[in-house]
Amino acid sequence: MRDFWQWMFSPSRRGPMLIAPALIMLFVMNIFPLMWSFGLSFFHYKASSIRPPTFAGLYYYEKVLTDPVVWERMQTTALIVAMSVLLQLVIGFALAMMFEKKFPLRREILMLVLTPMMLSFVAVGVFFKLFYEPTFGLLSQAYSYFSGEPLTLLATQWGAVWGIVIADAWMWSPFVMLLVLAGLVSVPDYLYEAAEVDRASKWKRFTTVTFPYVRGLLLLALLFRTIETFKIFDVVYLITNGGPGTSTETIAVYVYRVAFQFFKTSQSSALSYILLFIVIVLTNLYLYFVKKRGEEG
Amino acid sequence: MSVLMSLFSRKERRLREAGWGWTLFAGIISLIYFFPVLWIIMTAFKTRADALATPPVFFFTPTLDNFVAVFYRVAQTGSGEAIGTGMGGFFFNSIFVASAGVFLALIIGTLASYGFSRYPLKGNDTYLFVVLTTRMLPPIIVIIPIFLMFRMAGLSGSYIGVILLYAAFNLPFSIWMMKSFFDELSPDVEDSARMDGSSEFGVFFKMCIPQLKAGLAATAVFAVILTWNEFLFALLLTSTDTRTVPVAMARTIGGEIGVEWGLLAAIITLFLIPVFGVTYLLQNHLLRGVTFGTIKK
Amino acid sequence: MKSKFSIASALAATVVAGALTVASAPAVSKDIVLNMAGPDWGPTRFLQEYFNKTYKAKSGNNVKLVFDFIPWPSFYDRVAASLTSGEKKYQMIISDSQWIGTFIEGGHFMKLNKYIDADPELQAIMKDIHPAMTENYSTYPHKSKNYYGFPQFPDTKVTWFRNDLFCHDGERADFKAKFNQVLPCSYDEWKNTDWDVWANVGKFFRRDKGAKLGDGVAEHDFYGVAYQAGKVGDFSSMQILAFIWQHGGDIWDEANAPNAQAEGVVNSAAAVKGFQHYLDILKYAPPVHKTGQMGIFAIQELFMQGKVGAIIDWAGVAPPALDPKVSKFADKTGFAMTPGLRKSDGSIDRTDNIGGQPFVLTTWNSEEVTKEALEVVKWWMSKDVQIEFSKNGGEPGLMSVMNMPEYNDFLPWNRAHAELLQYQKDVWHTPEMFEMLTQQQEEFDKAITGQKTAKEAMDAIAKFQQELLTEVGKIK
Repeated sequence: MRDFWQWMFSPSRRGPMLIAPALIMLFVMNIFPLMWSFGLSFFHYKASSIRPPTFAGLYYYEKVLTDPVVWERMQTTALIVAMSVLLQLVIGFALAMMFEKKFPLRREILMLVLTPMMLSFVAVGVFFKLFYEPTFGLLSQAYSYFSGEPLTLLATQWGAVWGIVIADAWMWSPFVMLLVLAGLVSVPDYLYEAAEVDRASKWKRFTTVTFPYVRGLLLLALLFRTIETFKIFDVVYLITNGGPGTSTETIAVYVYRVAFQFFKTSQSSALSYILLFIVIVLTNLYLYFVKKRGEEG
Repeated sequence: MSVLMSLFSRKERRLREAGWGWTLFAGIISLIYFFPVLWIIMTAFKTRADALATPPVFFFTPTLDNFVAVFYRVAQTGSGEAIGTGMGGFFFNSIFVASAGVFLALIIGTLASYGFSRYPLKGNDTYLFVVLTTRMLPPIIVIIPIFLMFRMAGLSGSYIGVILLYAAFNLPFSIWMMKSFFDELSPDVEDSARMDGSSEFGVFFKMCIPQLKAGLAATAVFAVILTWNEFLFALLLTSTDTRTVPVAMARTIGGEIGVEWGLLAAIITLFLIPVFGVTYLLQNHLLRGVTFGTIKK
Repeated sequence: MKSKFSIASALAATVVAGALTVASAPAVSKDIVLNMAGPDWGPTRFLQEYFNKTYKAKSGNNVKLVFDFIPWPSFYDRVAASLTSGEKKYQMIISDSQWIGTFIEGGHFMKLNKYIDADPELQAIMKDIHPAMTENYSTYPHKSKNYYGFPQFPDTKVTWFRNDLFCHDGERADFKAKFNQVLPCSYDEWKNTDWDVWANVGKFFRRDKGAKLGDGVAEHDFYGVAYQAGKVGDFSSMQILAFIWQHGGDIWDEANAPNAQAEGVVNSAAAVKGFQHYLDILKYAPPVHKTGQMGIFAIQELFMQGKVGAIIDWAGVAPPALDPKVSKFADKTGFAMTPGLRKSDGSIDRTDNIGGQPFVLTTWNSEEVTKEALEVVKWWMSKDVQIEFSKNGGEPGLMSVMNMPEYNDFLPWNRAHAELLQYQKDVWHTPEMFEMLTQQQEEFDKAITGQKTAKEAMDAIAKFQQELLTEVGKIK
């Protein structure tokens, strides 16, 4: 027995031994379920039915890829992702600039801006829906105070998309801010000092020193938030429920319906795999940029 | 030195002093940003009529009824008894499940990151990439097979099931982030300790861990924020006894009466306190976590 | 006081139990737990609380009813997840009437005929349940003789209106002068109200902020009427189907599968006309209707906060309207029958979609558990318990309770509710129901928000259902 332990803990096996628990856990909780659903995607199977699965081949992949509804949902998702992430970058950057100074109560004031990130989706979804509500909503009341007309923001596709984007961007801009702030506070002093010697204008200093320095981080923020926003579900579900019509129905909401309301287990698995592919491509892009930035420095 | 390296060199640039004037400016902007949260907190102290008043009211007589209603309700049988809502238990579940899940992820993740950092395997990067990919997946993709798996293992509705799931959910993030901290420590110090006859356990626990306290704290904060508000897994995989607050919160958004604004706001407010407190205490370490550790390379 | 009492009763129970044990030695009492999944709201809380207070199993077993209270918005997802994951957790489940097909075909809900046939008490109960409820809450295939469920909370839509406006002499005179119709106030006047009057009420009570309204002035923009127009769940469908049925249109008839068709039926001229009628009146509702977010709670809120004069909403969500803590007009709210379509003979067609929930037993219970569960059913469906339920905001399933003269006084909407029951139909109960409903809600929403015409929406619905049902072999 003692030999066994010695064998196990010998220096040559130390790496695998340390990593094993994590890999086992990830395998059981993530990779194995993924393979399972990969298998299901080749069978006719409904989780709600007692009928045993039968082989279907690539039927569901063909079905999903040729389904115009899926492409419509993808476009909607892309639109929301593009708008929301862009807004997050702009707001996040602006907020970071604000905190890139030393001033009294900085820690406390920073907490105010960080709080939205800590709220639950139910909180954000339900209350933003209230803000947009034409009769009781804060935003609508402010609008009608000036225009005299009630604001029915969620009545049109663009209005509804904006409604979602504002809520999502509000919640996650602090995340971008943290990232950018990390970059801003690390710009070496000598660069600014050099700029000061050159008597560069504030704007010039920003475009030649500050921005290039945090550009890499912005790219990371862009990719990271893109991947996260791609999964957008709760906020959409609560604010518009995909409406008006299907104007704001994102891919995550659609997968949820197919998997948990229609119980088309095979179809949702096939769809999930296509999504997984997209996510892997995005992740690789993300890592590629990280690496490139690293090498450039 | 790369740009990104400098970000993690823990040296903040000497920030410009901005004084109270900037405090005022940043305070006002931040308050505007914080306003929706403030509105929710105010709603927690409002009666229903005040919560929905048109035009909205900013000054009102505060009531604590909503906070009482979080924990007690009046009996439906008309006897006038107060009956517990079980919300105290749900708060306990949330705290227990989130801490246990995060704790487990930290232990396993720290060990693995130590392995990845100190004893790189063949194909180390591939392993790390696979680990990261699991985090980038929309949870909706794995929920179906996890569900089927839990049903076979009899884990549905148990604490263990959810804790394992949350641990796996936080693992990739913990590994990547802790690895970036380990990479920063010099292995030479560890080696010299080994020369002096220190055991492997001694090196790990007595040398590395104390230096990584800050890193562990930052990792924990981010994991807690992400776990704290998780809804989908919690809804589908917990039962009455193990239900968490985000799921139970949904009770207030549709029963006999749409949204119980005051009650929902009170739950949100109470639920914000722990995560706000943790974030405030560990705020200084936060910046490190935001890119999930991928920056350092 | 309370604790003293319970100690005394516990002592008494022990003594009685002891005496019984002595008398009948072989009867060993067992602990039996009945787990029940239910939405978290008044009617289910009442069931739990009243059970804990009063239920004693006749068998002498120690029977416990343990509710899993699940928030309404996640109720379907959670129950469906539990059933399909096979965790076999629940012995009894409150199901929405439309789901029963899905879970019967999945092998989760138990057929009750065997037990009903063997038990005269259950037969008597089934006979006493309103036929609309037996048909919609219990039978599968729809309208067959296979029974699965019992009413837990039968629900219908009723009209809620503001007494202070509709019974205001000045307003009534103005209405009469403007439309030559009676502004409905009394029960009988409402009973004679058709959609034309309803639409006129919408026009009539549209008042701008500051305009005269009843005895005072409107504090904000005021609207006359509202009914549900929401994409979430089944909101729009529940009102639109009433219009379609009243105009002579129909939904796909599952009782006649596989011969019944969807195309040509669902998008018939009558159905389109019905939907258009609904849309025409919708424009008198508060502005939120333009967003397709005017669900059952949105109109309830608008009503209770005094932004609209009359709404059509479920009796099940009416109790808050009587609560002065949440409704500004708790003492000024009246309830009446819903409007309908006036036919050529002068009568009014009020066909509508039933709401409410049956409860069912699951298939994996032992014979002993099933027996105790059925005893609980009998207790719940007994007249005394149903009366107590009705007095505390519930609706009884038994005709014998609804026929009691004092029933109408239990709750202000009871009379309308009982009278409306005979007009209730239901949407499909087949397993494809959720897909059909979701798509239908989307298309309805497109028409409500002006993206499509009524005809285009109905055509899209018919086409989708035809394809889906043909694919699963329910249309040939």
